[in-house]
Amino acid sequence: MHGKPKVLIVDDEPDVLLTMRMILEAEGFEPALAADGETALRRIDDEQPDVVLLDIMMPVLDGWFVLAELAGRPRRPQVIVCSAKSSDVDKTRAFDLGADEYVTKPYEPDDLVRTIRETIARGSKRPARL
Amino acid sequence: MSEPHSVVMPLKGTPLRPDTNGGKEEGMAAATRTDIQERIEHEARVAGIRKLSRPSMEAVERRRLQLWGVTIIVIVTMALAAAVASLARSSDVEWLKPGVTRVAIISLALGFSAYAIEKEIHLHRLSRLLMDERVLSSALSNRLQQHSELTAAGRAVNSILDMHEVLDVILSNALGMLHVETGSIMLIEGEDEDELVAVAARGSNDIALGARLQLGQSIAGRVARSREPLLLSGRVDDELYPGHQARVPAPHSAMCVPLVNRGQLLGVLNISSFGERTFDEHDLQLLCLLAEQVAAAITNARLYEAERVHVAQLLELDRTKTQFVASVSHELRTPLTSIRGALSASRRAATDEQREELLDVIDRQTQRLSSMVEEMLTAARLERKGTMPMLRRIDLAALVRLVALDSQVAGRPVEVQAPERCEIRADPESMRRIVGNLIENAHKYGKPPVRVVVEPAGDKVLLSVVDKGAGVPQTEREKIFERFYRSERTATSRPGIGLGLPIVRGLVEATGGTVWVEDAPGGGAAFRVALKVRPLDEQEVEPCTASQRS
Repeated sequence: MHGKPKVLIVDDEPDVLLTMRMILEAEGFEPALAADGETALRRIDDEQPDVVLLDIMMPVLDGWFVLAELAGRPRRPQVIVCSAKSSDVDKTRAFDLGADEYVTKPYEPDDLVRTIRETIARGSKRPARL
Repeated sequence: MSEPHSVVMPLKGTPLRPDTNGGKEEGMAAATRTDIQERIEHEARVAGIRKLSRPSMEAVERRRLQLWGVTIIVIVTMALAAAVASLARSSDVEWLKPGVTRVAIISLALGFSAYAIEKEIHLHRLSRLLMDERVLSSALSNRLQQHSELTAAGRAVNSILDMHEVLDVILSNALGMLHVETGSIMLIEGEDEDELVAVAARGSNDIALGARLQLGQSIAGRVARSREPLLLSGRVDDELYPGHQARVPAPHSAMCVPLVNRGQLLGVLNISSFGERTFDEHDLQLLCLLAEQVAAAITNARLYEAERVHVAQLLELDRTKTQFVASVSHELRTPLTSIRGALSASRRAATDEQREELLDVIDRQTQRLSSMVEEMLTAARLERKGTMPMLRRIDLAALVRLVALDSQVAGRPVEVQAPERCEIRADPESMRRIVGNLIENAHKYGKPPVRVVVEPAGDKVLLSVVDKGAGVPQTEREKIFERFYRSERTATSRPGIGLGLPIVRGLVEATGGTVWVEDAPGGGAAFRVALKVRPLDEQEVEPCTASQRS
């Protein structure tokens, strides 16, 4: 992989965007932000991030919609769902829609950073979907 | 009509229970039957029938045949003997002398005839008794048949719990049992329980479904009031039953019995005969027995209905509670995520400015947690309804502009349309809460632009918060003001614990106002709050002087 890995943070909570941006920057990533599903899809198209940290409960278009939209694409980024929803039903639904990881809020930022690194490492070995 | 005037026969006393398989009438019949059997046995013994225990008509006939056969043989023998005696007239034998022989033969013949006649009398009595017994047996078996039908009807009625089904089964059982086709069930309704409403009806010429009758009016009304069963035949005397409207054609015979369970009047059961069938006292008694079971069944069905509603309420409450726990845990997780993130980021922060910014995040999110706790406490307080807000003179227009500014700062822009000044008497803290919650609600569930409009209207002020979203469906317009209610449409995509609007309603009502939601002209939702300018009819007090609302 060349250069810093790109991470798109999708969350409608401004303070989550702010803090995660600072942490990821300090950890050597190149963060981008989106506060709703619509913006997220646009930025995924424009910037092709390596990983998307995706919240579920958002206005306009929610995380489920984004997951479903990405599931149909031949090339898509790794998706780590970061949600306050903690039920098994939600987790199963996320994995069924193609999520790579599921992290329940409130998460420990250090753990999340580790998960992002592992996901990127796994993803680089993954053959591109056709 | 067979009879020129109506006959009223109220039945006194408690109706007989069907499960004893007989009643007073059947009891009497049974006694008569034992008596007849004793007499049959006696007559059979006298008549010389060998099978005493179960003499049959055939046995009697056989015995009669025997008797008369023997009688004929005896008489013929006697006649022959008399002829022989005549031939031997000249005999010298003393005991064959004609005079003596004749007397002897005639005496014997007479004696035997007397015996035969006596037996015949007993046989005749016996055959009549046997005939009576046969009639009685068949009548009793008819009654038993009716009682078993009644028991079956009672069982059927009591095994069903759905009210409509119960009423339907009751009516068809009653009609089937009495072999008629017309009838109805009327139940007590109305606030004062002074009205009878037809809830089930069969047959073309009876009381129509939904027909209403005042207690005391007409036949059914009178039966309901007196709680006495009625048996009617022929033309009904209108003077006896005020409010009675004669039907054309009029029923040939009719019965009306009250439905009473544990001393409580539930309604009446009407049965009419338009054909040949004339009801008798026994039919009335039978209907009374059915009515007793029917009343119990109606009570059961009502209890079941009430229980079903109760269970549905409990399930709804449980669903709301589960939803609330999920919402609260979600709402707690979100600020905690930001706080943990800020703490973690501050360890990596390069500059003091960054650290400052992260401290602000922590401050904001802890405030958010506090206000959430505060919100729950407010909701609980409003639920108790004990505390009343402090009313004082405030400028609503200024307050709205201030809240709008705060909202703007928090990233939720608002347009304000308000007069220069608009004074009302209200609790400023409550008003801030009301306006703030409505603006937040409009941003969360509606779409910008959000407008807040203040319009004085006579002795009231109308405060509206209007958005350009999808609006609130008619079915949810009341529910969204209930505690913890989260619309299915938005519960997954919008954060919240379902307390914002219930708090608005609680505070508005505590101030003596009303709040509702309607469609905004041109689309979106319009939340309207109507507030009285002076909710208390009292002397003007100085501004900022607290006055407790009584």
